[in-house]
Amino acid sequence: MAAIQLEDIMNLTVSAGEIMLKNGAETSRVEETMDHIARACGAIKAESFVIPTGVFLTVTDASGRALTTMRRVRDRTINLDRIAKVNELSRRLADHRMEYNDANALLEGIAKERTGFSLLPSAVASGLVGGSFAVLQNGGIGDIAAAFCGAAAVRYIAHAISQLHGVRFTFEFLGGLVAALVGSLVHYFWPFLSQDIIIVGGLMPLVPGVAITNAIRDVIAGDLLSGLSRGLEAALTSVAVAMGVVIVLAIHTVR
Amino acid sequence: MLGLKIAAVFIMGAAIGVLYRIPRNVLLYASFNGTLAWLVTYSLLQAGTNIIAAIFVGSLAIGSLSEMLARALRKPATVFVIPGFIPLVPGREAFTTMQFLVEGRQLEALSMGVQTLFMAGAIAFGIFVSITVYRLSITYKLKSEFRHVDES
Repeated sequence: MAAIQLEDIMNLTVSAGEIMLKNGAETSRVEETMDHIARACGAIKAESFVIPTGVFLTVTDASGRALTTMRRVRDRTINLDRIAKVNELSRRLADHRMEYNDANALLEGIAKERTGFSLLPSAVASGLVGGSFAVLQNGGIGDIAAAFCGAAAVRYIAHAISQLHGVRFTFEFLGGLVAALVGSLVHYFWPFLSQDIIIVGGLMPLVPGVAITNAIRDVIAGDLLSGLSRGLEAALTSVAVAMGVVIVLAIHTVR
Repeated sequence: MLGLKIAAVFIMGAAIGVLYRIPRNVLLYASFNGTLAWLVTYSLLQAGTNIIAAIFVGSLAIGSLSEMLARALRKPATVFVIPGFIPLVPGREAFTTMQFLVEGRQLEALSMGVQTLFMAGAIAFGIFVSITVYRLSITYKLKSEFRHVDES
């Protein structure tokens, strides 16, 4: 393999790390993947430091020249498919089943491609989560249908809010609000349907699954800083959802 | 009724997979993981086990099965953990806590809140313990293989 410029190694590696962190990978996975990619491209040593809001990287080549870079990560989404793809890319690079140029092109493709589903399929999926949770809570057919609608409405809110970047916890708060509103309204018009099951079903898609899982895995791996901040993220998300529900319930109870 | 619930957990796992953009070719494995963990918890509950212990054992199943699937299918373990534990999340209990709080029934709210916290903690520590034990066993196996190589 022809020697690759140290700058190019650094750019490829830090872009890979940035993509993984942006899409919800845990800290140790990002650090390991960056290490693998840098070494596969010919760096002698790669040191990385990753926290949920940024990536730091130092690469050293055979002549002892070292370069350091950092990338700030602001918008974070959840896309486990991209993480799996970058992971696969680093594995192929490390096994020499892929060259630097192909990897660079592929990485740009991964960053740009639209793997997300459009609004309708994700609303249906969200509704299915709510509906099946209602089944688990022994809900009747009416409860299941109402929970489906509540959860799908929550997804629609997410779609509307995601147009505004950089607003944290608004989606969770409004989602909790909407789920509780749907439950209260349905219970008001059809009192034989269970308010609890419908609201809880609507809340299920709001559970911060990635934050919880990553917090656990970061703490196990010894990345205490990331583990703590992700645990805090999960806790704050839950509080935001709870506040949305509590406000509707409080109005409902006073009336 | 049980068949319907199993189908519901399976559909739930697949739907969560769509929401979190889990790679399509492992979606069914992830749903299967969730269904198995829920079945473990459910059957323990039917046998009269305490709900916290039942959730803990279910989460042990999630963590170990996820790590095995991740190793076999070469995908991040997170992909299998998330659809695994979401059916076990104590949503009903959390909601009841809020309802008690709003109605001013502080004592019931406190007891239900502690119950919710313990159930959530059982999930977290079930996954924590099983992943740790799995990693330790892998390291132990690798080490003993190396020792074997050294001796020969």
